[in-house]
Amino acid sequence: MLPRDCSRRLVTELQGALDACAERQLQLEQSLRVCRRLLQAWEPTGTRASEPPPGPETNEEDPPPACTPSPQDLKELECLTQALEKAARVRRGITKAGETDKAPSLKSRSTVDPPGTIAFAPPRTPGRAGGHASDTRPTKGPCQTTVSAKGHSERQLLSLGNKTRVGTGAWAPRPGPGLRDQQMAPSAAPQAPKAFTLKEKGHLLQLPAAFRKVASQNASLWAQLSSMQTSDSTDAAAAKTQFLQNMQTASGKPQPRLSAEEVEAETGRLWKACSLLRLRMREELSAAPTDWMQEYRCLLTLEGLQAMVGQCLHRLQELRAAVAEQPPRPCPVGRPPRASPSCGGGVDPAWSSQLLVYSSTQELQTLAALRLRVAILDQQIHLEKVLMAELLPVVSATQLQGPPWLTLCRAAHSLLCEGGARVLTVLRDDPVD
Amino acid sequence: MGRRRRRVDPAAGALPEAIAALSRSLPSGPSPEIFRRAKFDRPEATPALWQLLFRVLAPLPLDNALASLAPEVQARLVKSALRSQGYPRLALAQLPEDGSQGSRELLLALSWLLARGPVPEQMLAQTRVPLGDEMTVCQCEALASPGPPAPQVRAEEPVDVRHVQWLMGKLRFRWRQLVSSQQEQCSLLSKIHQYTRGCHGDQSLGHLSVAEAEMLRDPEGGQQLLRTLECENRRLEAVLAWRRTELVFWRWMDTVLDTCAPGAPAATSQGTFLPRIPEHRGGELELVAWELRALQEELQEAAERRRAAWEAEAGGCGRGPEWSAVRRASREAVETELGALRRRWEQDRDPAQPHGPRRLVRREDGAAGDRDLRAAEVIRTLRSQEVCLEAVLRQLQGQCRQELARLAGALPGLIWILPPGR
Repeated sequence: MLPRDCSRRLVTELQGALDACAERQLQLEQSLRVCRRLLQAWEPTGTRASEPPPGPETNEEDPPPACTPSPQDLKELECLTQALEKAARVRRGITKAGETDKAPSLKSRSTVDPPGTIAFAPPRTPGRAGGHASDTRPTKGPCQTTVSAKGHSERQLLSLGNKTRVGTGAWAPRPGPGLRDQQMAPSAAPQAPKAFTLKEKGHLLQLPAAFRKVASQNASLWAQLSSMQTSDSTDAAAAKTQFLQNMQTASGKPQPRLSAEEVEAETGRLWKACSLLRLRMREELSAAPTDWMQEYRCLLTLEGLQAMVGQCLHRLQELRAAVAEQPPRPCPVGRPPRASPSCGGGVDPAWSSQLLVYSSTQELQTLAALRLRVAILDQQIHLEKVLMAELLPVVSATQLQGPPWLTLCRAAHSLLCEGGARVLTVLRDDPVD
Repeated sequence: MGRRRRRVDPAAGALPEAIAALSRSLPSGPSPEIFRRAKFDRPEATPALWQLLFRVLAPLPLDNALASLAPEVQARLVKSALRSQGYPRLALAQLPEDGSQGSRELLLALSWLLARGPVPEQMLAQTRVPLGDEMTVCQCEALASPGPPAPQVRAEEPVDVRHVQWLMGKLRFRWRQLVSSQQEQCSLLSKIHQYTRGCHGDQSLGHLSVAEAEMLRDPEGGQQLLRTLECENRRLEAVLAWRRTELVFWRWMDTVLDTCAPGAPAATSQGTFLPRIPEHRGGELELVAWELRALQEELQEAAERRRAAWEAEAGGCGRGPEWSAVRRASREAVETELGALRRRWEQDRDPAQPHGPRRLVRREDGAAGDRDLRAAEVIRTLRSQEVCLEAVLRQLQGQCRQELARLAGALPGLIWILPPGR
């Protein structure tokens, strides 16, 4: 068994690492859920609020049995759709010519449709639909039924198109805010029963205007904020410094003591210093000087680095004294936050316009995997240091013979030298008698 | 510092404006009236100020557990957080936690925080609505979770080292899980970007992000997003207004400080704090000390060796005037270099390194503007970081191996069979 405070430290650190990973995993899983749902067929949300969808077109689920189109209906619909596409092409010519009166009537028809209902009347009732459509349609003739049926289905497809663009009743009253132009929906929408998937129709989506306005406002406000931060008014800064000094004097203390956060921040800086100095030392030692001047510089650099390390150690002594000054506390509330050696703190709001451009899935995956790997290595190195600080003294202190110490040794070796991945074997070597 | 009588300030109208902007820019900001009452230390202003301070100082994410803490507990956390940041006035520590008095002290504490850092901006940045798919390039938030405070379950009983091994195994499994989930997420993200190519109004972006596509798929959620964005815009405007008018606020705060009685010096009443400093703070420093000392030894040895070699080689010829000029130039160059190196860790942020989250954008040609990062460059940087970190880890493991071998070698009669290499 390990000593009490050693156990606590190790368990706390490992638990902290586990929790950090769990949190990241949770975020990833949430994101995965959202992404998977986006890539599947989208359900019509408008119909959920109003009457249940009479048709099966956008639901891959069980459609209400009463409206399940028979195969014959489906075939009819296929023919209809093809005819509609043709009519749409013809219509386009007419609409462009008589835009003033045709377009509003078309639009009004789409608003007449109760928002959200697909109103997929099966082709069984063409008469009714035909009667309705023929009222408004100027073209009459021998093919009235087909035209009117086309008109009705076209209206349905229009509304379907509206739905796929916009997806909710709340926005449908406005004439097709999502429609890219006055082009008819049928040219884009497939057979009505087919669902909307991002794969096929994604490139037709359009963000609503209200959102775009707010988003661009948002971006410009953030940009203003970040530019204001970089050019902070000197008057205000002076007033703030003065105020802080006044606070200090008014409190009656001679000098600000080093606060806990400052100690943490300084410790983080010392970590950073350590890694930077070590890196520099490696560079100098591995460089092969060609002439005496380079050698001299190398020598000076090494001696300079040595001096800097000395200064860091001195600063560390001061920090230690400051920490020792504060009386020992009972249980901590928060988990000890770890200073990352590679990055300083602070949040810079000037990110909004800065992009990270990638060109292929492979690249994105490599990027993300590397980033995760570096974070995991960071965690591993920190844990390694903690384990070293806690376990090595225990191993060297408990010089018991026999199985308990051997277990400890094996475990320590596995944790410290193999990252917990492999365990060594210990054999007793009995002398041959 | 005597009392100063304030003349009628020509900018007197600007003060309520400034305070109003400040309170709009903070979450659950109290009304300007509360600020005015606090100047006169009115008790009714106290609870609102405790709440505000708690919101400002509480660690994010502000989940239900934290938000539903009793006011007394919140007050205690505020006190301890301020203390750990080095708040100079002792009067705060002596305030009762039931919110019955002390509004002026709380106002001073709030102003102290505002003077030390850009608090409204930081709070906004923490609750920002990300519209794009974002990735941070630097390692600040990769796997560090400040998170909610650890539950008070104490592992007071000593544990067996096998429990530690088990925890380590769990951790390794979680790492593997993360890697595979991350890969899947990237492939899905890439697909969504591909499929929505050409949709975005903003040409430089070119495709929708997950948040935007989700908004189209789920319009109710989209309305929610829109409302949150509008809220954020209002707060941004408030922050900008605050920054323009804050000077008059600071002048006013000086008067508030004047109305305080001179602070009672150094009453060392500890009270019942829940401190934030974990007990092993000394341990962290010890680790750094150990590293630095090891580094110092290495450097000492290397430098001495080089110095000896140098003296032996060039000791004779380095005497003339031109040599000394060259030597001086070298010294200055080295000093400049090392000075730059020192600045890299003394500054809190490395200006050379990109910082902060960036929006991911997929472009087939990979073209990028001036301020944009290309994935290939980031990959290069990350790879070199990876190599560096792996070297550090291997070195630490090597040190452990040596140390353990030394300790175990003391025992004869045992054969240690190392596991097969990777």
